[in-house]
Amino acid sequence: MSRTETDSTGKKGKWTRRAFIGAGVVAGGALVVGVAVRQGNPIDRLGPLLADGKDEQLLNAWVKVDADNIVTAVIPHVEMGQGVYTALAQMLADEMDADWSKVRILEAPADMQYVSDSIGRDFLLPDLEVPALFEPTVAGGILELAQAMGLQFTGGSYSVRATGQRAMRTAGAAAREMLVAAAASEWQVPASEITTADSMFLHAESGKSEPFSKFALAAAEQSLPAKPRLKSPENYRIMGQPKARHDIPEKVDGSAIFGIDAKVPGMKYAAVKAAPVVGATVASMDATTAKTMPGVLQILNMGDFVAVVADGYWQAQQALNSIETTYSKTEGDSLDQDAIFARYARYLDEAGEDDGDMETEQGDAAKGFAEAAIKVEAEYKVPFLAHATMEPMNCTAWVRDGKCDVWSGHQAPVNARQAAADAAGLAFEDVTYHNAYLGGGFGRRSESDNIVMATRIAKATGYPVKMIWSREEDMAQDHYRPSATSRFRGGLDKYGKAVSWSNIHTHLFDPKDAPTVPYYNIASHRIRKVDVPMQLRFGPWRSVDHSQHGFFIESFVDEMAHAAGKDGYEFRRELLAGSERHLKVLDTAAKMSGWGNALPEKHGRGIAFVPSFGSIVAQVAEVDMSGPKPRVKKVYVAADPGFVINPDGFTAQMESAIAYGLTAALYGEITLGDGKVQQSNFHDYPMLRINEMPAVEVALINGDHKHLGGGGEPGLPPIAPAVTNAIFAATGKRIRELPLSRHSFA
Amino acid sequence: MTIVRTLACLYVFMLAACGADPVPGPVEQIIVREPGAAPVAIAAAAVASNPASALIAEGQAAFANCSACHTAQKDGANGAGPNLFGIVGKPAGRVVGFAYSDALKASGISWTAAELDAFITDPSAKIPGTTMVTGAIDDSAKRQAVIAYLESLTAN
Amino acid sequence: MIKLNVNGQAREVDVDPATPILWVVRENLEMTGTKFGCGIAQCGACTVHLDGKPVRSCSTPVSAAAGKAITTIEGITGEDGTLHRVQKAWIKAQVPQCGYCQSGQIMAAVALLEKNPRPSDTQIDAAMAGHVCRCGMYNRIRQAIKAAAGQPATETAA
Repeated sequence: MSRTETDSTGKKGKWTRRAFIGAGVVAGGALVVGVAVRQGNPIDRLGPLLADGKDEQLLNAWVKVDADNIVTAVIPHVEMGQGVYTALAQMLADEMDADWSKVRILEAPADMQYVSDSIGRDFLLPDLEVPALFEPTVAGGILELAQAMGLQFTGGSYSVRATGQRAMRTAGAAAREMLVAAAASEWQVPASEITTADSMFLHAESGKSEPFSKFALAAAEQSLPAKPRLKSPENYRIMGQPKARHDIPEKVDGSAIFGIDAKVPGMKYAAVKAAPVVGATVASMDATTAKTMPGVLQILNMGDFVAVVADGYWQAQQALNSIETTYSKTEGDSLDQDAIFARYARYLDEAGEDDGDMETEQGDAAKGFAEAAIKVEAEYKVPFLAHATMEPMNCTAWVRDGKCDVWSGHQAPVNARQAAADAAGLAFEDVTYHNAYLGGGFGRRSESDNIVMATRIAKATGYPVKMIWSREEDMAQDHYRPSATSRFRGGLDKYGKAVSWSNIHTHLFDPKDAPTVPYYNIASHRIRKVDVPMQLRFGPWRSVDHSQHGFFIESFVDEMAHAAGKDGYEFRRELLAGSERHLKVLDTAAKMSGWGNALPEKHGRGIAFVPSFGSIVAQVAEVDMSGPKPRVKKVYVAADPGFVINPDGFTAQMESAIAYGLTAALYGEITLGDGKVQQSNFHDYPMLRINEMPAVEVALINGDHKHLGGGGEPGLPPIAPAVTNAIFAATGKRIRELPLSRHSFA
Repeated sequence: MTIVRTLACLYVFMLAACGADPVPGPVEQIIVREPGAAPVAIAAAAVASNPASALIAEGQAAFANCSACHTAQKDGANGAGPNLFGIVGKPAGRVVGFAYSDALKASGISWTAAELDAFITDPSAKIPGTTMVTGAIDDSAKRQAVIAYLESLTAN
Repeated sequence: MIKLNVNGQAREVDVDPATPILWVVRENLEMTGTKFGCGIAQCGACTVHLDGKPVRSCSTPVSAAAGKAITTIEGITGEDGTLHRVQKAWIKAQVPQCGYCQSGQIMAAVALLEKNPRPSDTQIDAAMAGHVCRCGMYNRIRQAIKAAAGQPATETAA
């Protein structure tokens, strides 16, 4: 199976299987600095995957230098549009002093060894300070756990801030140090006299200069640096630059391969329909017509879904559409939209003042509220949301002779590989997982339900099978962003300063701190949750719990501001007093938007401030309410992710998150009737389109280059509340329930 | 997050594999064509005569292509395009509350089935300056079905 | 057998004439640049040209291509590999994110500029509103179209 490799000039080369770059093992400081493959080395068995010609030498798991002085960065993350390939390569290339025009990028294969240990550490032991003596042990232990949990994945806005910051940069710096040590040894000069730039060594005193490739083999013999020195921002040459993305050229000429584009000789196609109500199974299947339809090969009742395998996808789908299926009865059959929210209300009512699970408590919020001069109460609701990735869910699988190959676009390739192994009844080692570009991830492609289904069909039929979900199936079988209800009580003193904050809400998924507001100086907090059984399958949706709580919190802050007779921006300024970094972001957004300046009649501005995934983002939305529905004209964004590795890429991610979040705020609603999802395609699950996209202006702030924040998700949580706060400013109408299409603005 | 869910397995990791139960095979498997058998030759597409009601039903289903912008029910809202209830036989550019392009307002057309068909096929060729999108329904048979559906709404 | 003209080449396929062009192109002709997004002409990802006009290939049977020239995204790049000015503008503006919708977007933009070399924002809206981009790159799409048309950038829709 060959992979396409792109270099920064946009040319393409073909790789054979022998040439796949493998990975090394993580050691001390959560970073592999694997040198050449040696006997007994854990990466030994990856040897056959590594060598690409006798003059190439693998320096470490993350970078390769070949005889043409081409530096290849091996990226252990997937590209789903967030620009991660390029950003991570920038981080490695800068530390290595590589010539960016000669940097190539490869995605790491889904191998257990190749795990994102940085992520494992952050998830398992956040904020843990480990004495240097114990580093190797801890890292080794984490690696094992990380491997067991299949932690090679992309999500959580982690790629740049964890893998990039901790692994790619260290790998680049380590590679550089080893190369310089080799040059020093060959030239018989002190390493301190050698400088590097653009993949070249220079010894100024003697005038000697050579490309990296000259000493790459010798570098592999050098000992591994214990703690490679990283650059400080004044020396960044590639980080902080808006480098063009490596994957874009193939995305404008139709050559980029997504999961749905997999090609296997002899491949057949499957259309599927799973039971629409969660927990139901197929009771009966009448395929009388389907059996006679052209191109049909097999019809399968798999218990939880029906599949038709045919010579082409369209033929399979037509035949599937003709099958009459009945399903078993379940409790969920009677559930509808009202019943779900009624259930939430009941659970919240039952929790009362004292029950529910305490998330965070500071001071005595109940007392603070009781004694407050001004009291504010509100309840908010948000619906289930679909991911609706542009590329419907799909997977190609082939099971034969005790082996399995799987092709897809997946955010967690090691998980996908394990899921296929389980579904095929094979060992992990018997499965080869081939990843491709993702036509949208947003969290949906971190699930493996499609992998399992395709593998089961492949196993049953013996064919290589490409399973494609129709848009209707994709809409019906999502792992939705959960709906939620949240109730607030806020107390203000006679000066209109917030003094108490009480909140109880349904569910908590991830991140656990999403409902908390530690950055706002409020004397007493009391935040609780209740777990309510949810009818639908749920999963991570871009910005996860920040998508609901960003709306809840920033709406309620605005209501408190209004009750205090204060402007939303000034009120938040007070609450952020003393936090310079937070204030700078808020002030920048307000200033950019001309906050306080006059607007045309029936126009309003709303502000929202949400720190998430390590980044701080404030947005101001300008909304025109003069028509029958809200028109968002412009969004101003101030964002501080610590340090922006690629300004164009980060800006694009802000635009992207705003569009995704605004679509949800305006239209997004997955409703249930008779236990089934009622939406089926883009005509009843409407999308924001070019004619409704607001102008977006982004200001980037490098607030702390040592602590990076994420880019993929933080732009989303503020948009809904910025818009609803703007609607309030323009009309006096307070929106407490999304989407906006539920409300009349006539 | 995948991580959060598998964290629940973390504590049993040392005791047992976190894997799934063996995944079941098919409950029923109908093999219509054996592997290796040649496909049946494609038969000429049968042109079924559509009873009127089937055509209207097909048109209603095909109207999904239009519903991003248009509603068809009586007193339905205007969206990016005007409400189309009763449109067949009416003069163009007259639905109350919709901001038509000048071109369409001035067209002088009455929406017979033939005019609708030509318009949907290539809006800006029919009425240069219109904001109606191209490519909404490219299949001639589907267009007829949608027009039949719209005609049926007038009759009600 | 059905005779087709695809990207200037004569091709023959053995398919049911009711098969949508999308699946003939992707499966029989093995050209996967044209994408499947919704199947009901709501998202634009499947857009190809029939005699230069954009059509939703998911909803157009291959029989409708009789006697017409089909152009797919693969046919937009010149035979010698030269990119169309729209593709160049797309790269310069760094338009694609995930990229899945972009074949369709580019097909629509190319057809728009063929017909209307200096489109207004309203005309851009009309030509492009049928295309969904889940990654939300609408403003970049607009700027790239303007750039390809040699026009100055504007902020947003009229």
